[in-house]
Amino acid sequence: MNVLQVDDYTLDYRTRAGTLRVLDGVSLTIGPGEVLGLVGESGSGKSSLAWATMRALPGNAVEVGGRIQRPNAIGIVFQDPSTTLNPTVPIGRQLAEVLALREALEPKAAWDAGIAALLRVELRDPAAIMHRYPHEASGGEKQRVGIAMALAGRPDLIIFDEPTTALDVITGERVLALFRRLRDETGVAALYISHDLALVSRVAERVGVIHRGKIQEEAPARTIFAAPRAGYTKALVAAVPRPERRLVRDEPAPDPLLTLHRVGVRYGRPRLFNRRTVDAVRDVSVDVRRGEILGVVGESGSGKSSIARAVTGLVPFSGELQFGTRRIASPAAMDRDYRRAVQIIFQHPDSSLNPRHRVREILLRPLRLFGGATAEVPRLLEQVRLPVDFASRYPHQLSGGEKQRVAIARAFAAKPRLVVCDEITAPLDVSVQASIVELLLELRREHGTAYLFITHDLNLVRQIAHRLAVMRGGDLVDLLEPGQIGAASAYTRELVAATPTPVGETPA
Amino acid sequence: MTDLLRRLAETPQGMAGLVIVALVATACALGPALAPIDPERIDFLARLKPPSAAHWFGGDQLGRDVLSRLLVGARSTVPLALGATLIGAAAGAVIGTLSAYLGGRWDEAIMRTVDAVMAVPGLLLALLLVSTLGKSSYNAALAIGIAFTPGMARVTRSVALAARRQDYVAAAIARGERGSWIVLREMLPNVVAPVVVESTIRIAFAVMLLATLSFLGLGAQPPASDWGLMISEARRFTHQAPWMLIAPAAAIGLTAIGFNLLGDGLRDALNPRDER
Repeated sequence: MNVLQVDDYTLDYRTRAGTLRVLDGVSLTIGPGEVLGLVGESGSGKSSLAWATMRALPGNAVEVGGRIQRPNAIGIVFQDPSTTLNPTVPIGRQLAEVLALREALEPKAAWDAGIAALLRVELRDPAAIMHRYPHEASGGEKQRVGIAMALAGRPDLIIFDEPTTALDVITGERVLALFRRLRDETGVAALYISHDLALVSRVAERVGVIHRGKIQEEAPARTIFAAPRAGYTKALVAAVPRPERRLVRDEPAPDPLLTLHRVGVRYGRPRLFNRRTVDAVRDVSVDVRRGEILGVVGESGSGKSSIARAVTGLVPFSGELQFGTRRIASPAAMDRDYRRAVQIIFQHPDSSLNPRHRVREILLRPLRLFGGATAEVPRLLEQVRLPVDFASRYPHQLSGGEKQRVAIARAFAAKPRLVVCDEITAPLDVSVQASIVELLLELRREHGTAYLFITHDLNLVRQIAHRLAVMRGGDLVDLLEPGQIGAASAYTRELVAATPTPVGETPA
Repeated sequence: MTDLLRRLAETPQGMAGLVIVALVATACALGPALAPIDPERIDFLARLKPPSAAHWFGGDQLGRDVLSRLLVGARSTVPLALGATLIGAAAGAVIGTLSAYLGGRWDEAIMRTVDAVMAVPGLLLALLLVSTLGKSSYNAALAIGIAFTPGMARVTRSVALAARRQDYVAAAIARGERGSWIVLREMLPNVVAPVVVESTIRIAFAVMLLATLSFLGLGAQPPASDWGLMISEARRFTHQAPWMLIAPAAAIGLTAIGFNLLGDGLRDALNPRDER
């Protein structure tokens, strides 16, 4: 008897543009105590399958055919723990409410059960956490509370919808370890949905690969990535970054292009009554050489983005930047030459491209500011492998990868010598991410541009960076070449260990 | 433009708004030609007469045809109210966006000034301005526009604060763009939606404020057939001839509803994101 059985299930969404097929004849089964991994890129229909299983489909969904045999009790853990919990209600009350409902407990008993549940998800001092509001808990703690809620009432099946995507690598790794331990303890079956192949191969027994609403391939986790059969899976596996496969072989020039001398960034301005400020970056000294790719890695809050913002003059900073012979001590000292030479590409192209401007206007602006011919727009688009007629489109008419290409074209319109890439591949699918990285490397070969490549993806940055700068809590803890990672500090080694082992390598 | 109209007509509220505003616009453009009787002609027999075949909306205290006065009066009411709102919306939007862009101490300074101006009741401010500028319909419209500015600035700022945090603003700053470009070209287009909606609501207020100023003798002067003036004149005859009051009040209401619906439709049609 299977816990979950989906037979030939087809689902449509009615939109103004017509019906859209999101799931097309999907069949899968999960046996008791089994973990099925479901891997797919954005828009593949993996979350729709989760909603269909939870009977929580949006109003415009039409179940066309097939059926889903579900267990009575299903728990779900969502991607973003900060939006799952109600910010105005203490954690304990939310948890106790779920327990009271699911296990038919009296309020007092539910409260005690809540403390026990938090203890089970390895939260220190659960009694104190019960009284806290969601904003007083960290992301990892909130996700543990989410897991405790999903476990309430002993469900037969738990759906995990990208539960570690919003967390830091190390925090995510700890949540995963917890998941594995709880599974061994309770023997609950799980559907684990993720875009991350490497991660899924570590938690699931069987893995299904979904693409455009169709299951492309289903195989044991041990074999699917080592010997993919379906064409789509092969492409997916090939796109996953592997640190041992270097993409950059040349050596940069030894002379520095931009040097940071004891740069610090401090947030929060001193007010009359409140002088509290936060140091995001403390006295970081590092240089970027001509044509070099300097990788900056660290968890969120490590100050890596603040460095990007300081270098591009978006935040006031202490210390000094040296660019060529010029010394710059404040954003106001950045002249047109410097602004032209140092460009930035942001993480979210949705936010960095003005939604009310057409691609042409977006690209024309740096050309006008830094001296370039208006006729260059088609060339810029071609350079980033986009059709020339995209010039008349609005950003929302492009896909995420296309938008990021426009952002890259805008940065290169200024003919920069250093491009700051702030997590630019983070919101993209693996295959798109690979093509964007390839494009960046090609542009570098062509123009000799240096990159300050900020990312949390260690595997990716180990493929391309000449040197790695590891940040933690605003301090630079390591500055080394990718080959020297064995000799790194304890923190860096922990970071490397927590990064999901890439496909193909046998997990130790 | 035709594309915008098409998208506007696709939604029911946009279509209804278009029709009503088109009606009002026709009255503004062709009012005197459409009026069945000369609006100034005094007919002693029609004095305070209820609506009939000869006088569809009845007669006023001097026996003038209410429908004709309404049609002619549209011209002196609606464009002025529209102009007043436009002045207030434009000034308020720029001030609000600028304040959000500058942030910090400048934001505090601008918004506290706005608060101070808002503390003065709108009508009182308008009165003060008109008595300084001199009595006329145009000065009344200008005064109302100025009185509207603080409110619009506040609404715009709240949206502009969100736009300020977007990376396209950061990208513009990193490029070294001038402040005026960032405020006018990067941020302003992204805050128009609430400004348009707020403006369409304020048009109705503008009509009423204009009427009040006229009533106080600081706006349109009798025998003009300004809708507000018509209401204030009809006030004394509410019990004898309610139609005198109802007709212009309904006209103001209809105009307000029309612009409101149009504003709702415009907000949806103007958003390039929503094309499904």
